[in-house]
Amino acid sequence: MEFQFDWPVFFETIPMLMRGLKFTIIIALGGLGVGFFLGAFFGLMKLARHAVPRTLAIIYIEAIRGTPMLVQAMFLYYGLPMALGLRIPPLTAGIIIIAVNSGAYIAEIVRGSVQSIDPGQIEAGRSIGLTRGQTMLYITWPQAFKRMIPPLGNQFIISLKDTSLLMVIGVGELLRTGQEIVAVSYKAFEVYLAVAVVYLAMTLSIAQGLRMLENHLEMKTKR
Amino acid sequence: MEMINIVNLHKSYDQLEVIKGIDLEIKSGEVVCIIGPSGSGKSTVLRCINRLETPTSGHIIVDGKDIMDPETDINHVRTEAGMVFQQFNLFPHMTVLDNVTLGPLKVRKMSKTDADELGRSLLKKVGLADKEKNYPEQLSGGQKQRVAIARSLSLQPKVILFDEPTSALDPELVGEVLEVMKQLAKEGMTMVVVTHEMGFARDVADRVIFIDQGVIQEDNAPEAFFSSPKNKRLQDFLGKVAEH
Repeated sequence: MEFQFDWPVFFETIPMLMRGLKFTIIIALGGLGVGFFLGAFFGLMKLARHAVPRTLAIIYIEAIRGTPMLVQAMFLYYGLPMALGLRIPPLTAGIIIIAVNSGAYIAEIVRGSVQSIDPGQIEAGRSIGLTRGQTMLYITWPQAFKRMIPPLGNQFIISLKDTSLLMVIGVGELLRTGQEIVAVSYKAFEVYLAVAVVYLAMTLSIAQGLRMLENHLEMKTKR
Repeated sequence: MEMINIVNLHKSYDQLEVIKGIDLEIKSGEVVCIIGPSGSGKSTVLRCINRLETPTSGHIIVDGKDIMDPETDINHVRTEAGMVFQQFNLFPHMTVLDNVTLGPLKVRKMSKTDADELGRSLLKKVGLADKEKNYPEQLSGGQKQRVAIARSLSLQPKVILFDEPTSALDPELVGEVLEVMKQLAKEGMTMVVVTHEMGFARDVADRVIFIDQGVIQEDNAPEAFFSSPKNKRLQDFLGKVAEH
């Protein structure tokens, strides 16, 4: 049997994927939004002077980075309800998993960026009478944030792609939508290629957006 | 009236004792230069005064407040004792004016209008009125250090601590910074200056102090300090400096 690429199927598939794309975007945005706050919170906790917050941050980060996201998803969606007696809706579960998972990686990005700021900056802040918190807010954080952008961009791209794993808990995201189309059309080559093209379009857009943001911030200090 | 009183100051890093008992009184309006070989502990003494380094033991009383007393609000002490750093430590993400007004805005809770007015007058004082909208990156080393001096003045401190303010500068830019410092001294500012600029110490200081091996080896008026040093280590040090 000779394989023939079916262009009409390929082009018809793309609009059919939009429903799944919507969920992918909702989960990625929601998950990364919450994940950024988790990451900032635990990243700064890991830099705390006291051992208790530091240890809590280490436990969170290591537990998440040390286990596959697929296992985290199965545990949250199928495992936890056994103990708690309540089922989390797939979409909510998806957002929680992306948030908790990306948060651990973002925490390390935040910690590294904050630590990379010259200690002289902090001394200068304290020397004019700013408190520790004010020094973080006005001096360390804005400079660290600029350095976070490239690695954060990477994490955004990774997490966006990771949303495809959520099909195992029944989230109707992009890949699952593709799978459903294959189930009726049997055109696996065309459909999964279309799915891949949609992912690629999103990741390239993120990369481009980040480049523009970086340039914009760079310009601001070189006016 | 005494502005700073250092009593039996000790500072150790783990097992290494770098400050081995220093007593020093600095009066209001006095300009005191501290010189000494690198690693002698002179910068450490300066950085203990506003507790950027925490002394191991001893007392430092700044304008009547003991920085070793847990009741003392160290942030308030730091507004009374400004600091100028060797590496300037300007905030690179802020304009020159914002660098100078950050303290007045956030520490003194001044209004934006008042803070800007104060900031502009300080920039004018250091000769950089036209640079307020620039970012530190666009300035020369000498200009950066003058902005840093304006920033240290922004909380209207009673004393300014200078930590080798000209050591990171190209030789041709040292003069403009020393000029601003001279002006401040003339206006009666209390200044403690860790420096290698012997000319400045001789011309501007009321007293010059030589610190070596963690103790004060000599404390004298500039004339006597440079022309008839009593301490053997100081004689050697001045001999080595003079060779260059």
